[in-house]
Amino acid sequence: MASSDSTPKGMITPAIFEHLQTKLDEDAQVREEIRNIVQAMERQDRTTMSILSRAHSIPQADLAGTLSEASESMNKQVEVIGKLKEVASKHPYYRYNSMWSREMQNASFAVVLWAWLHSHMSDHNGQKGELFTIEEVGKILQVPVSLKTQDVFHMTIEEYLLSLISLIEELARLAVNSVTLGDYHRPLEISRFVKDLHAGFQVLNLKNDSLRRRSDSIKYNVKKIEDVVYDLSLRNLVP
Amino acid sequence: MAGIKHPRPDDETAEPPTPVSPFMAVFETFRSELDEHHDRRERIVKASRDITALSKKTIFSLQRVRQLQAPIPPAVSDEISAYQSKITELFTSVAPDLQDLNAWRYQNQISPGIQEYMEAVSFQHYLETRRLISYEAAQAKIPGGISLTEDDYVLGLFDLVGELMRFAITGMATGGALPRGGGEGGDLLTDLRQLRAGFEGLDGAGKRAQGKMDVMRSCVEKVEGAVYGMIVRGRERPKGWVMDVGEERRGEVESY
Repeated sequence: MASSDSTPKGMITPAIFEHLQTKLDEDAQVREEIRNIVQAMERQDRTTMSILSRAHSIPQADLAGTLSEASESMNKQVEVIGKLKEVASKHPYYRYNSMWSREMQNASFAVVLWAWLHSHMSDHNGQKGELFTIEEVGKILQVPVSLKTQDVFHMTIEEYLLSLISLIEELARLAVNSVTLGDYHRPLEISRFVKDLHAGFQVLNLKNDSLRRRSDSIKYNVKKIEDVVYDLSLRNLVP
Repeated sequence: MAGIKHPRPDDETAEPPTPVSPFMAVFETFRSELDEHHDRRERIVKASRDITALSKKTIFSLQRVRQLQAPIPPAVSDEISAYQSKITELFTSVAPDLQDLNAWRYQNQISPGIQEYMEAVSFQHYLETRRLISYEAAQAKIPGGISLTEDDYVLGLFDLVGELMRFAITGMATGGALPRGGGEGGDLLTDLRQLRAGFEGLDGAGKRAQGKMDVMRSCVEKVEGAVYGMIVRGRERPKGWVMDVGEERRGEVESY
């Protein structure tokens, strides 16, 4: 019973709202700090993507310079992610995850796209390393991946899978542009690769979330690539 | 490359392409992880929903209490402890899903239940002690080591104001006066104004709190209006007159 409680007026101990204000201030500060880093990630990502998008207008054989330039930009991104990792690790991972999740997807997308292009360079043999696994992406970005219980900074499988959907979208565009570049072989490689990925996505039981919504685009992109292959084979242009 | 087949893939009906995708094993791992995630999320959503319903029932029962700052009467107490034990069971059942990394992962799913529970817990605490429950005491009320976020705590307190309004108005209608505790200083309206000032003083409260701010203010003002009405015209009212809380009138009912 609080009748003998010392605070004379009313129900509220001032400490209650003071505590809340302290927590709100701390939270605002953390968000500010993370927001700044995420903005830096956005900038770096735009740089990387503008380099990688040259692949649409440069023949596969001449991509080496582009890839190494992109690689430098990605290394800078790894440094920024390092900062994010440092700040984010002080807090429960999922508390602020939504602030950077999009940028982690983009960073992963840059890596898997780079890897795909790189694996199709002439000095590379065949299908090896076509798809970077989540572990390989994590190694490049220097973050742990797919943790189940340990509460530290990492890349989630959702982020990785979403980046693969972006990859499919990008490759569909590349299939079209390959033909423009006079490369009739690459659409076939893209077709095979994307079909394999599509088959992978089909085994997932997707619920109503962002992964589900975005994965709807896969089938349209598969079809778009099929159309390119169909057009080529109809005209006997398939090498 | 004669092997390329011309017919378009028929996305849903067709069997997976004949050569098994080299990525299948990886995706099967993803599948089982995503399945676990969805199952957990569903369990939590369900528990949260049930906790919300039981908390609402608790609040209804508590609204039958007339005496502020006194032990809850046995009839009400029996009801709410039955609800409480079910709530404890539900929290405990999802506690393993809300540990470590997952404590914040499913925050959006468990949050509605926790908020409603906070409303019930803080209301009961107020009725018994005429004090606002502290964050620490509130956290201690959540079973299973599930953590209480400051957000859920505050949002629960916002809704407490609505319950206090109902309690005040019913008290005035049935007892002819604002409920006041046995202790020193002020009555329920004093408390409500203090709460309002506390909320309004918070700087940087989130969007959800901002959304509740107006409702909270109008609740306090309804009680202010009712007290005013009671003082000005109260003596003219027939005995047993009950104010209509549901509608937006502010007790400006004319005497007969």
